[in-house]
Order: sequence, then C-alpha cells, then structure tokens
Amino acid sequence: MDEFQSSEETAFVVDDITTIIKDAVETTIGNSSYQHNRINQWTSSVVESSLNQLTKLGKPFKYIVTCIILQKNGAGLHTASSCFWDNTMDGNCTVKWENKTMYCIVSVFGLAI
Amino acid sequence: MEEYHSGDEVPFNPDEASNHVKECIEGIIGGVDYNQNKVNQWTATIVEHSLTQLVKQGKPFKYIVNCAVMQKSGAGLHTANSCYWDTATDGSCTVRWENRTMYCVVSVFAVAVAV
Repeated sequence: MDEFQSSEETAFVVDDITTIIKDAVETTIGNSSYQHNRINQWTSSVVESSLNQLTKLGKPFKYIVTCIILQKNGAGLHTASSCFWDNTMDGNCTVKWENKTMYCIVSVFGLAI
Repeated sequence: MEEYHSGDEVPFNPDEASNHVKECIEGIIGGVDYNQNKVNQWTATIVEHSLTQLVKQGKPFKYIVNCAVMQKSGAGLHTANSCYWDTATDGSCTVRWENRTMYCVVSVFAVAVAV
C-alpha cells in the first residue's frame, strides 16, 4: 500500500468524501423535521461543515459543495450536472439523504490544482 | 469596474455566463408545463447545452453546470453552495427561472486552469 501513497494523496477518494458528507448532514439535520424558518441555516451549515472537513484532508483540490433540501410534499424534483474538466484527476460524489419530512441532496465536486 | 489584466488570467464573467444559460433554458423549457416523463431529458439537455456554450467561449476554465427542475406544488426547496477556490480567478453564477408549473435553478461554477 505504501508504494501508491503519493497517488492516493492526490486522488479524489469518493468513499472518504461520502462519509464526511453523511456526518455533516446527520449532525446538522439528523433529528429534525422540515422547518421553513430554519432551512436557511441548515443548508449553510451543511455546506460549511462539509467544506471545512474536506479542506482538512489537505489534498491539492479546489472544492465546490452544493446542498439541496426539499420538503416531502409530493413535488417532483430533478437535478442534473455536467462537468468540463480533467477526467483523470477530478471527481465528484453525491449523497442523497432523507428522513420522514425532507430530502437532502449534497454534491461535492473536486478539481485538482 | 476597472479590470486591466496584463497577464493571461481573466476572471470569470458571471453576466455573460448567465445570459448563455438563460437562453438555453428558454430554448428547452420555455413554453412547456411540468411533465414527469420529460423532465429527465430536460435537465440533461439544459446542462449539456449550457456547458457547450460555455466551452465555446474558449476561456481557460473547467466548468461545472448544475440544474434543478422542480414542480410548483407548494413544497419548500432550499439550496446552498460553498466553494473552496481561488477567489481572484474562479467564480460562479446562478440563474433562477420559472413559469406557471415549474422552477428551474441552474448554477455554473468556473475554476481557472493554469495555462
């Protein structure tokens, strides 16, 4: 495992990032029901804490984190994203989370410097 | 806004990108109602066309285009994004569009590449 250490330090590891995001979401809205007047601070808190944890990884990446929180109301929501980047070094991952009253979708894009 | 750059680095122009994206959205879902069967291909087409337009500008950027289409049915939707990048050269823009039956939110993120 040691011989590949240098490429691991510069690779976009989806599993690590998924774990970080799930923690951030659980911590912020894990036990809550949808509340219109708190949604602002929830989305901000999810992206900020995710980004903080990601930068702590110390990898040579620029990050973009987006978070969508949608009330469970029967409405249809569809999202798509398209990226023009370096396929060998850049990557993304999306985490879908839900509880009884809302859905939360967090996407992380990592672009190698 | 005086932006005189003697070097090759030009910052991202959000207004121009915004216009390209608006045109794409109008062209694809301009006069139609929310249709569950078609929303899949709408979002895909919107991001692809927007990305193609942006890349055609020939600027030294990597792009990420994100599109969310939501049916108007009274549900609350909130989105946020946070970016860790070089604030001098990188940038983003978000276009919010709506018609009678749906909302469409498109975000473009542009990250400078070393030329």
